[in-house]
Amino acid sequence: MSEPFEPKIVAFVCTYCTYAGADLAGTSRLKYPPNVRIVRLPCTGRISPMFILKAFQKGADGVLVSGCHPGDCHFDHGNYHARRRWTAFNALLQFTGVPEERVKFSWISAAEGIKFAELIESITEEIRTAGPFEQYHKLIAETGSAASV
Amino acid sequence: MSIQEQYRSRAKELLREGTVKMVIGYGAGTTPLRRRPIFITSPDDADRLVLDAACRTNLAGYLLREGLLADQKSVAVFLTPDGVRTINILAAESQLATEQVIVLGFQIDGENARQLEGTRVADFSGIIAERKKKRKEQPSHEVARKLEQMTSVERFSFWEGEFSRCIKCYACRAACPMCWCRRCVVDNNQPQWVNTSSHTLGNLEWNLVRAFHLAGRCVECGNCSEACPVNIPLHLLNRRMTEEVLTAFDYYPGADEHQEPVLASFRKDDPETFIL
Amino acid sequence: MTKILYANDLTACFSLWRKEGMRVLGPVSKAKTSGFGEVQDAHELDLNLVLTARTLKELFFPRTEPMFSYSIGKQKIETGEFLPSENACIIFGARPCDAAGMAIDDELFNWDYRDEYWFRRRDRSVIITIACKESDDFCMCTSLGLAPDSAKGSDVLLRPLASGNGWRVEELTPKGGKALQPIASLLKEGSEAAAPTAEVPLLFDLEACTTWLADPENFESHFWKEISERCIGCGTCTYLCPTCHCFDIQDEGDTYEGIRRKNWDSCSFQLFTMHTSGHNPRATQSARWRQRIMHKFNYFSDKFSVNSCTGCGRCTRECPVDMGVRETLQAISTLQK
Repeated sequence: MSEPFEPKIVAFVCTYCTYAGADLAGTSRLKYPPNVRIVRLPCTGRISPMFILKAFQKGADGVLVSGCHPGDCHFDHGNYHARRRWTAFNALLQFTGVPEERVKFSWISAAEGIKFAELIESITEEIRTAGPFEQYHKLIAETGSAASV
Repeated sequence: MSIQEQYRSRAKELLREGTVKMVIGYGAGTTPLRRRPIFITSPDDADRLVLDAACRTNLAGYLLREGLLADQKSVAVFLTPDGVRTINILAAESQLATEQVIVLGFQIDGENARQLEGTRVADFSGIIAERKKKRKEQPSHEVARKLEQMTSVERFSFWEGEFSRCIKCYACRAACPMCWCRRCVVDNNQPQWVNTSSHTLGNLEWNLVRAFHLAGRCVECGNCSEACPVNIPLHLLNRRMTEEVLTAFDYYPGADEHQEPVLASFRKDDPETFIL
Repeated sequence: MTKILYANDLTACFSLWRKEGMRVLGPVSKAKTSGFGEVQDAHELDLNLVLTARTLKELFFPRTEPMFSYSIGKQKIETGEFLPSENACIIFGARPCDAAGMAIDDELFNWDYRDEYWFRRRDRSVIITIACKESDDFCMCTSLGLAPDSAKGSDVLLRPLASGNGWRVEELTPKGGKALQPIASLLKEGSEAAAPTAEVPLLFDLEACTTWLADPENFESHFWKEISERCIGCGTCTYLCPTCHCFDIQDEGDTYEGIRRKNWDSCSFQLFTMHTSGHNPRATQSARWRQRIMHKFNYFSDKFSVNSCTGCGRCTRECPVDMGVRETLQAISTLQK
């Protein structure tokens, strides 16, 4: 019998809000799926779209990008800049056929341990249902094969 | 007097008076249908200039040639309104000073080149405002509309097919007046975020990075698609980005030389429908 | 009397080759570009093209090629190789300029060491060239000492019949002869006349150009800046050139696993000669264009007694700013006078 599919999800989070929220989820003993690998960054403003591409390049099935709510940024406006960037990049990803469920953006504050746990739960479930990101995995596999002609 | 004659004599005058040290324009190409960029520095050579409907290349990027504007002297360039927008963006991004640019403005209407009044980029703000309005009303590209109808799997396959033939010559980057980075992010190898090889994955990554970096900066001049030796419809990506910044942020790149870059500015009430 | 291959028999011919275990490739127009691809049926070929946009060299020297892989585990280090297969293949419908380019690059890839990636593919392939009966504004083989029916680099040369129904078959190499054996039953004896070959005008005096280039006085000439002022350094000319062969070695991956690859590179790129220190010995685009011309018509010929240009004209045909070898050599020709 084959094992059930366990998606690999990479979460890029800012250290001041979402990371603290994840920490709160942990210290509150909230249960959430272990499918997510958290990468902590100083601010969402530091999260380049290339990080998302890197995650997919390394075989991720889904990516979450999360930071402080608007108005709460430790650096005052890092997340406002990030938001504009995500708007453009999200549109680009959809236009090129990266399914909407594979890249998610959220605001999670240091107090929102419950929101963090629930969000991880729901996106893991969504990606589990969608299955592995096969179209991307195929491209990754092709890099290791000699040219056909 | 034909428009070509008018512009030749204007170029001659600018050079003779010493107002500009160079005129960047179009000359005859290898075949009767081809035009090539030419650089005129002497009034006697101004008669080599050609202006007609075959003059399609956006010449603005040549102004960033190393050292060209370093001596504070002025240069005149043949520019369409999109070319003028390019200059505005380059100025907003501190790559040149508009005082050094004399515009020889023209527009292609069907089979003819038409003269546009004005000498400085600021003189074209009315025309550009008009274009913004038109751009808002312009429907998406036919292929883009078809793509939007597809499932994401079909869309991905479409682009996989297009990108699979990319040979990573980076002609799109070289031809783009907006790609002025001294060192492109994909040429850095520590860290190397995206693959440099020209397999389909590397090609997809490159083209996404390129399109994203041009979001809100692309003036849709078409230099990239024109330069692409394997005819990837790069303009579809750029146009999609233009439409996104236009609808989400009411932003039209190159409106004037003081316009803040769209991804380096924000409004507290920017839309965020997709954020959980 | 010569052997004639009729166009109607082509599909049958392809299946005979396939029966012998040979793959068949040829010029195809697909997805807004043209190049060489595998075909099953003769109808898939686009034999009306003057020249494919992409060159024959891609079949022997792909734009990216994995060389070996590595992975480091807790207990062991593993490596893997990626040598190309030796399965025979027929390349049907190459053009003389492209085929000649392969012969030129043979010298290069077998100079200080034998490039197995190139030669495995070369050795397994039979190039069946079709002489050109048409040319376009950019063709210049005759100016490079070649012709629309040059045999260089080909194993078999086909001359189109005047009737348009097929080709006269000329066997050029033992390899070509061997490839014709399985299809011998389809080659008919005949005396039908061949169509005249394309008339490609002489555009410049190559000898005068190489003499000018060989003169060290001209290396720093103002000419180089003027002729290449509009070059944007996109590298299209090199990537679409049948003889340009520069490559870069890149490691893709991380400390634990990855692939070392051989990727195309171009002397048109600023990064091509950039030192780690930031110093760039070819600091300007004109220096890079000069390098390309000098390499083709001076350095390469010094070393291998042949110019590395076959006059296919792609550099000019595809240049976004209308430059190319043709303009430069034409200009040098006039400097002489």
